[in-house]
Amino acid sequence: MWYCSKCSAAGRQPHRRVWVVWFFLALGCLTGVVLPSSAAAAEKLTVYSGRAERLIKPVLDAFTAKTGIPIDLLSSGTTELLNRLKAEGDRSPADLLITNDAGSLELARTAGLLRPIDVEDVNRVIPAPFRAPDNSWIGLSGRFWIIVCNTTMVQPGQVTSLFDLADPHWKGKIAIPSASSEYLQAGISVLRAGVGDERTKQFLIGLRDNAGTQVYQKSSQIVEAVAKGQVAMGIVNHYYVYRHLAAQPSAPLAIVMPDQQEGGVGAIMNVAGVAVLKHTPHFEQAIQLIKFLVGETGQKMFADLDKEYPLNPTVKADSALIDRQSFRPAAIPLTKLAELREPTLQLIEQVGLR
Amino acid sequence: MTVVRNHCASPFQIIALATALFLLAPLAYVTASALSAETAVWHRLWTTRIPELLTNTILLASSVAVLTLFLGVSTAWIVTRFDFLGRQMWEVALVLPLAMPTYVLAYVYNYLLGFGGPIEQLWQAIAGSDSHLVSPQSFWGATLVMTLDTFPFVYLLTRSALLNINVSFEEVARSCGVSNRQALFRVTIPLLRPSIAAGIALVLLYVVSDFGAVSLLRYQTLTYAVFQQMTGRADNTAASILSLLLVILALAFLLTERWFRHRSRFYQTAGRYRTPNRIPCAWPRTLVLTTYLAVIVGASFAVPASLLIQWSLSPEALATLDNRFWGFIWNSAFLSGLAATAGVVIGLPLAYLASRQPNWLSLGCLQAAYAGYVLPGPVAALAVLVLFLHTMPFLYGTIVVLVVAYVLHFLPVGLQSLEPSLQQITPNLEEAARTLGLSVRETWRRVTLPLIRNGFIAAWVLMFLQAIKELPATLLLRPVGFDTLAVRVWLEASEEYFRLAAPPALLIVVVGLPALTLLLSRNWRVG
Repeated sequence: MWYCSKCSAAGRQPHRRVWVVWFFLALGCLTGVVLPSSAAAAEKLTVYSGRAERLIKPVLDAFTAKTGIPIDLLSSGTTELLNRLKAEGDRSPADLLITNDAGSLELARTAGLLRPIDVEDVNRVIPAPFRAPDNSWIGLSGRFWIIVCNTTMVQPGQVTSLFDLADPHWKGKIAIPSASSEYLQAGISVLRAGVGDERTKQFLIGLRDNAGTQVYQKSSQIVEAVAKGQVAMGIVNHYYVYRHLAAQPSAPLAIVMPDQQEGGVGAIMNVAGVAVLKHTPHFEQAIQLIKFLVGETGQKMFADLDKEYPLNPTVKADSALIDRQSFRPAAIPLTKLAELREPTLQLIEQVGLR
Repeated sequence: MTVVRNHCASPFQIIALATALFLLAPLAYVTASALSAETAVWHRLWTTRIPELLTNTILLASSVAVLTLFLGVSTAWIVTRFDFLGRQMWEVALVLPLAMPTYVLAYVYNYLLGFGGPIEQLWQAIAGSDSHLVSPQSFWGATLVMTLDTFPFVYLLTRSALLNINVSFEEVARSCGVSNRQALFRVTIPLLRPSIAAGIALVLLYVVSDFGAVSLLRYQTLTYAVFQQMTGRADNTAASILSLLLVILALAFLLTERWFRHRSRFYQTAGRYRTPNRIPCAWPRTLVLTTYLAVIVGASFAVPASLLIQWSLSPEALATLDNRFWGFIWNSAFLSGLAATAGVVIGLPLAYLASRQPNWLSLGCLQAAYAGYVLPGPVAALAVLVLFLHTMPFLYGTIVVLVVAYVLHFLPVGLQSLEPSLQQITPNLEEAARTLGLSVRETWRRVTLPLIRNGFIAAWVLMFLQAIKELPATLLLRPVGFDTLAVRVWLEASEEYFRLAAPPALLIVVVGLPALTLLLSRNWRVG
């Protein structure tokens, strides 16, 4: 709206009151800038979260309800938050970081952003493979890369491996996450470690051609597209499918746990996790939150609301989910995801995924 | 009178110069960061992303330009040259789409035209259940949404030009034996050319800098890619390179328009000015015209707005109207108010100096302020981010950074109304006040400021409206716990929660409506 006014000069009286209003408006605004930064409440926790807000906020609200500690939540992209934390350094208002990807937590650890937490209550309930070697970050819930199929378009047994999705037969029928999503990057890292760069590259080229413009920012959009029959299949984290089915039980969706055949890569696993930032003045409260998240109440919320696999072995996963014992995950340690990331990004760009 | 100037100038000049440097610094930072990138990064981008992004961006911009040209000029022609029942209502209604942010229109059309959406169901009832419409998440969808949202720019400028040109030109042509149609193409359209070109330039700049619509419609343009690079990568080099390309592209559009306007400048010659008589219409023609206008206004405003109202009234949407929601409203209003105030305060010395002391320095400073035109949201965010990280890292993550990005991006909008309102006050008035014994400060307070008040308020309102709709910079720079209405719309709409996104979207539209009356008053002209 780039227009200009031509106000008539004649007959205008100065309205002093208008200027007074302006002045106070400006003054009010200025004090507003100063206040939020100086009035950081002592007992408040600030959480940066790379998870979708609707998946994490209920759990944090439950913590606030239980302990009375209020939480300020900033939901954004995981990598974006990492960039932000690096930039903010020790001035960061954040006390904790929650991500949807273990690789990002490991990167934060190598960047020296995190403070190790050696708490017996936590170590006891979360198995060692789902924690950083020095306990700088703690896994909270497990998720698997699965193939979601529209049952009217894909026959059972027609697809068993991720590599099947690169078959030209499925041209225009595949939906994939955008190249900037951390879980895609982590998944490709695992494939590279499992089958080597060359085979991964061929797979990605096939996937790129099959997906065409069906590249989505959000997993929920992929599930939606598959449910509507816009595409036949998509790659998503398992819980988005179960969440969709919980809301719409009649949706024609099926899940394939990929690469379970003899010699296959295995299902690609990642964890959502939490870490305490190095410069937090609220270490005690932060530990309190972590204990809550790995404890039964927190884990049960991840299992029931989010349909993830709880990492605390005493808490059962939702009964609708494929039994955790019935499939084999890929044998790549989560901590390796960080070092695999940069070459993965280069491969992604080389192939030209969007 | 030299006394007045000298006294006013020096402090102003320093302020203006400082402001200009401050405004140019982010642009310089992005350029430097892009140029200092390793050639490997450039090579990688050239061989993978850039050809596709450039083609997509230019393709979208040119197709939208052609369509808005047609829609804007035809609607302006109808409301200025014909007289029919309800004409005045349509005159206003055609501006309404400007209150609708593109991302809101995009998400409504995502639902309407989407796979299995209401329009496709209708189509399948006619053409058989296996037929599908072209997905809105494509070039066509992006073109449709951007056209419907931006044609009012062309409409407004063409309309005011049509109201202002002297009908005697046409009459002379007619009396020389030229047919009606020839008079249109040989006289009227050439006279309108500068206004149309200005309108198209606005459309082009708007399209290349749009982020919300193309991201919801998943159409890859340069602006979208800059955002993706910033959020998906640990370093900002690639984002800087893409930003630089975007700046060059926008600059090219802007300079072409200036050149175009410069070449074809028409003047009102002496003689009596008359407005053309409107052609009265009988009911068949009225019906045709009304249908045409109704389809355009319906598609660009009425249908989306009624969908938003319907969604907002659904139980799940009403459930979101809690305390948190009022917080979002306050955040939006506070942030936009702050940005608009800062913009006016910063813009005033620049505009004042340029109109009172138009030497190369002050004019240069003013031009620097227009840099915001070529800094789309994500680029402004990137520039401000890099700048603050290098110079004032302690401010990063505060509201200050966001406000600076807003000011940078929207200052041109404000200047467009500040500058002419200052130019229209003759310095004689100030001089007269001085000779009557007022001090410099008194003159300012009692003469200059009251006179520019209208331009001042208009500038504030326009910047406020732009800021409240702004999306990419807000997403990237918002402080913790500081979501705005626009951010909420985007978060919900990008996960296809159409109903939950409706209340904040509706509110943005409603807030924008009153300000449109500003655009419609007859005294508005091309800046």
